[in-house]
Amino acid sequence: MQTISIKKLGKARLIEKLREKNAGGFLKCIQCGSCTSSCIVNVVDETFNPRMIIGSITRFGRLLSQDPWLCSACLKCVERCPQRVDPFSIMVALRLINYGDYGRLPNRVVEIIRQIKKTGFAFPINEEVREKRRILGLPEFEISEQGLNEIREILSEVEI
Amino acid sequence: MNVTLYLGCLIKSFFPEVEKAVKEVMKRISVEFEEPKDASCCAPIWLFSLNKNAWLRLNERNMKFFQSVVVTACDDCFASLNDAFKIISERNSIKTPEVKPFGKFMLENIEGKKLKFSIKGLRCAVQHSCHLLRPARDVDDAENPKVVKKVLEKLGYIPVSYEGELDCCGGLVFEERVNRMLARRKAELLENSGADCVVATCSHCIYQLKSVSSIPVLHLAQLSAFSLGANPEEVGLPDTLVRKVVKP
Repeated sequence: MQTISIKKLGKARLIEKLREKNAGGFLKCIQCGSCTSSCIVNVVDETFNPRMIIGSITRFGRLLSQDPWLCSACLKCVERCPQRVDPFSIMVALRLINYGDYGRLPNRVVEIIRQIKKTGFAFPINEEVREKRRILGLPEFEISEQGLNEIREILSEVEI
Repeated sequence: MNVTLYLGCLIKSFFPEVEKAVKEVMKRISVEFEEPKDASCCAPIWLFSLNKNAWLRLNERNMKFFQSVVVTACDDCFASLNDAFKIISERNSIKTPEVKPFGKFMLENIEGKKLKFSIKGLRCAVQHSCHLLRPARDVDDAENPKVVKKVLEKLGYIPVSYEGELDCCGGLVFEERVNRMLARRKAELLENSGADCVVATCSHCIYQLKSVSSIPVLHLAQLSAFSLGANPEEVGLPDTLVRKVVKP
């Protein structure tokens, strides 16, 4: 995912944008590295480094070209940060800034949102599972038309 | 107790044997429940992070269909509903339903009871759910979780400890390369534990680990149902596991 426009923002504007998107407490970061040493993604791909992502923002107003969607949302960094920085909220803010600038979300996320708008549930159900449900005596599940309209109205806020 | 059972999208759409198992357990521990007919997906953390307001409104709508206690079969649903209700409760000064993850619900229902179970000897490696443990709430110890292990012990299983127990399975990484690396890494740690099977309470973990694990990946409800006397085939227990079971 490209992050060129963020790089051009400059420190003050980038920090303002992160705050707008509810990124939590990043200015309190002391670069101790608790987040990176807790990060499971960093174990398999060392280019993804939360400490460096946060440090380069707060020190230089720059964003390293690391995809915020690589974060696994396991929240260990949030739990272990001694300064109560919320690195996950920073990843989310970066996702949103990218999304706002490019309107790009991972395909799987787009599919899931479309599916919830269509049926109220995140995944489609196939014939094999439907048959297995019948054999096990499990009920059919379907949201009423009125219910679906309510759900679609709420999700109209989420543009994809 | 007025109980609503919230199964979650993944279980409904992919794992009917887990749904069957949860319902068998409810029957066998004599808990009456109802299913919320018109409730939707709870839009868990990775989704609500895109639009917090939509997440809150979706769950405010779901709340209308819930009784005073909601038992969730997936820990990611637990986290989403629990955290949304907390915000709604504070914002509107109203009492919202109590959300209970399946493991905690089981423990409350079987703790202190003398259970008759018909199995013995299966070794289980627990895949702990990230969003149940973090951010830390009062449901389990975030750095040393015990609830699922206690339930397993109580039902006649042997929980095993292993290296990397708290490590994430990578199920919510939307980049294929890293997603697969994390899945294989965690599956290997689980296999190296020497356990006969993996036990999870998050349906994302089950979906993710099933794609790579060489040992069976099960929901706690499947083993619970089996232990309480349910037909192993109906609750999706593989024969290889059933054959390993020793009568107590």
